[in-house]
Amino acid sequence: MTAITESSGPVIVPPLAKSPGYWAGVWRRFKTDKVAVGAGLVVLAIILMAIFADYVAPADPTRSSMLRRLRPIGTPGYPLGADELGRDMLSRLIHGARLSLFMGVVPVFIAFFIGSVIGVAAGFFGGKFNTITMRTVDVFYAFPSVLLAIALSGALGAGITNSLLSLTIVFIPPIARIAESVTTQVRGMDYVEAARASGANALTIIRVHVLGNVLGPIFVYATSLISVSMILASGLSFLGLGTKPPTPEWGLMLNTLRTAIYVQPWVAALPGAAIFITSISFNLLSDGLRSAMDVKG
Amino acid sequence: MALETHPDRGGPGTPLLQAKTLTKHFPLGGGAVVRAVDGVDFAVMKGETLGVVGESGCGKSTTARVVMQLLPQDKGEMLFDGEIVGGQALTLKEYRRQAQMVFQDSYASLNPRLTIEDSIAFGPTVHGVSKANAILKARDLLQRVGLDPARFAARYPHELSGGQRQRVNIARALALGPRLVILDEAVSALDKSVEAQVLNLLADLREEFGLTYIFISHDLNVVRFISDRVMVMYLGEVVEIGPVEELYGDPRHPYTRALLSAMPSMDPDNRTMEAPLAGDPPNPINPPEGCRFHPRCPHAQTVCAKVKPILATVGDGTRQAACHMQVPGSGHSHAPALEVAA
Amino acid sequence: MLKYLAKRILYVLPVAFGVSLFCFLLVHIAPGDPLTSVLPPDASQAMQDELRKIYGFDRPLPVQFGLWLMKALQGDLGTSIATGRPVAAEVWRAVGNTLLIAGLATVIGFLFGCLFGFVAGYFRGSFLDKFASMLAVLGVSVPHYWLGMVLVIVFSVQLGWLPPGGAGPGGSAAWIWNWEHVSYMILPAITMSVIPMGIIARTVRALVADILNQEFVPALRAKGLMDFGVFKHVVKNAAPTALAVMGLQLGYLLGGSILIETVFSWPGTGFLLGNAIFQRDLPLLQGTILVLAMFFVGLNVLVDILQGLLDPRVRRR
Repeated sequence: MTAITESSGPVIVPPLAKSPGYWAGVWRRFKTDKVAVGAGLVVLAIILMAIFADYVAPADPTRSSMLRRLRPIGTPGYPLGADELGRDMLSRLIHGARLSLFMGVVPVFIAFFIGSVIGVAAGFFGGKFNTITMRTVDVFYAFPSVLLAIALSGALGAGITNSLLSLTIVFIPPIARIAESVTTQVRGMDYVEAARASGANALTIIRVHVLGNVLGPIFVYATSLISVSMILASGLSFLGLGTKPPTPEWGLMLNTLRTAIYVQPWVAALPGAAIFITSISFNLLSDGLRSAMDVKG
Repeated sequence: MALETHPDRGGPGTPLLQAKTLTKHFPLGGGAVVRAVDGVDFAVMKGETLGVVGESGCGKSTTARVVMQLLPQDKGEMLFDGEIVGGQALTLKEYRRQAQMVFQDSYASLNPRLTIEDSIAFGPTVHGVSKANAILKARDLLQRVGLDPARFAARYPHELSGGQRQRVNIARALALGPRLVILDEAVSALDKSVEAQVLNLLADLREEFGLTYIFISHDLNVVRFISDRVMVMYLGEVVEIGPVEELYGDPRHPYTRALLSAMPSMDPDNRTMEAPLAGDPPNPINPPEGCRFHPRCPHAQTVCAKVKPILATVGDGTRQAACHMQVPGSGHSHAPALEVAA
Repeated sequence: MLKYLAKRILYVLPVAFGVSLFCFLLVHIAPGDPLTSVLPPDASQAMQDELRKIYGFDRPLPVQFGLWLMKALQGDLGTSIATGRPVAAEVWRAVGNTLLIAGLATVIGFLFGCLFGFVAGYFRGSFLDKFASMLAVLGVSVPHYWLGMVLVIVFSVQLGWLPPGGAGPGGSAAWIWNWEHVSYMILPAITMSVIPMGIIARTVRALVADILNQEFVPALRAKGLMDFGVFKHVVKNAAPTALAVMGLQLGYLLGGSILIETVFSWPGTGFLLGNAIFQRDLPLLQGTILVLAMFFVGLNVLVDILQGLLDPRVRRR
């Protein structure tokens, strides 16, 4: 057959001024969305706060004091009050952001990878493989997400690893489903046909032509799950299925402060407010991304 | 450049592509089957342009996709320059370097996330050309299809007009140095003036690269302009095939006549008096018995509903038609008389 | 229609089978020997062996699953370890309570969701739209168990208007339909209604905006048809989808009520699950989850079938 020859010596490709690409457009649209930018800044602040908790927090989050139990908001030295063991609420909230953010982001992140692989493969190869995969996904879809998370966590037992595992399993099916439906759409496009017609194998086509067009929508969908994951993770802790005391975590703090609603109701409500603010910021950020990326749905 | 040109193996006498009883059926639920392509035979000679015409739903595009092997055929085989496509001597990947396709929808056939030059360079890189060489080749091709690479190479598809995008698609198809290019309604979505420019470009490129075209279109004027021979399809079957001027001037199949009569002509003397198409529109799910055209045919007789006409040589031998009226002794009253053996 | 019905039911059977398999395996993914969960801590070896036989844990897993499924189909979900009572009885009692509260929550959520969604879609782009859309985002972002706590703080602790939790003055056994009892339902139902409210508002907003965008609506308005005519048209077209979403949301609430029931000590399935988890009562956990998931699956099919009845286009999918 005919051979492929390479001209010898290095080939110099004169660079051309690139058109602003897709992502430049996304950024331009995102910048004009005040709500999304605001939410993004809040998310960024919370992330920085969590990373530098040791420097930001005014006190040790685990240092308790039997004398200063359940102080109200505004107590000198305790700007947001003290909890049922006399620990500084502000410091605990700052340190609690670590685990709460972790539990919000990491399961979604892992599920994003696994779910994308499953969904893209099912969507691209279609046929029996698709049927079997998607039917299995349907089984998990038959559980409301809260119920599935609790069932798995309840069976596996308490602990961060188990919560992480259950939440990851909870998010794989919805992500796989979205990935499958976007990939099926892209697979039918003529440019994928053209790529096949040029003799490229499935993996090359997926890498060059499919991923670039499906990961965006899947990613946007996944970001909208972060707030769900945070709420679920805190909910698991709230039921005693997540982290163990005295580690500060917003859901667990809410749980242990439940009995304090008659003494210091607003201090007791603080951890939930922290979850709420973070969760809504992630949701608004996700909505902003969605419209900036022009993803339907 | 980077990819070597392909030698002519079979010589000028061997058709570049021969399709033998190509068949593609799509099963629907409940046992129904769409007979999109039903036993199609044709040959494309080297350097010629074979036009393919027919109403929508007649199987033109499915034929294109089977020829491009984007859909596997259910039955039949193809010979490319005398070798079986997908066989040992000509693997599918090798075949795909030599046969390329341009699609109708210029936007959908370009990856929106790739620059123009990346889209064109993709094919060669698949076949082992280095990225840098492929990009250089892409820019060269852009020049040849009439787009200034300095202006267009680094742009994205949505920044181009339909005509410009279709030029890019042509360049992409040429990037692998193919010998056969399938143009599936490639100019149909363009404005008339742009269409003419792209048609001229296609004609020039055919000369320049020594290409062979399969040109699929529902537009009979365009097909007449670019084709050497024309194949008429009806409900998944070939009803007539022959040199363009003879076929347009003296259609032998009633369906061809009906198609041509429906065609807007510039010359009033050229208009035929054939009745326009009547009857039910074609349905490839349950094609009629016998000749598939008989329910709409003004000359249909008993034999047409019973016996399926074969694609038989008519006239001077360069043409074929599948109609009982062309075959002596077929049982149709308009059939030519049987020559009595001496 | 019959064909559609058969297709839906055929489709749901493997899902239901998968769901039961998942529930069966729950006990087996639990760390350690599943037997330890049903054993008293001081059990002798002989007793262990005997119990292993009784529970069938000595058989191969597929056989165990078959036996378990047969029993479950006959309504036998095993015995609770904590109480020693049949799981099925416990679950059915709790399901009633959960349905009560989830049903009420769905109705509240549906009414307010439709109201907000309609206003937002009808006055698209206005201040009202932004306000309603914001409410919808709040609804999906709020940790509902926390919202429950806040409501308790405001209406029970601070204002003293409503009871903070429980199933009524005499417990769930002595339920009577009077204000004293109903007052116990109000806070949990309102808390729970926030979840479907946001989603229904979003759906209705999109539907209304879509219908109003169709060409004939401005024509209707131009013809001088009263706005009420337009309103009727919108309701007629949006209702099937909105109702379908509502049905699905009821299903979500059945499973999603667990945290809210825990906050309010409402004796439903969620509360039961909470206890099962707290006491590591795996048969109870398994049974409750199976029943809730089956309810959800059944509700999904029901919604599909009703949608098929209302809208023939759905059937062709």
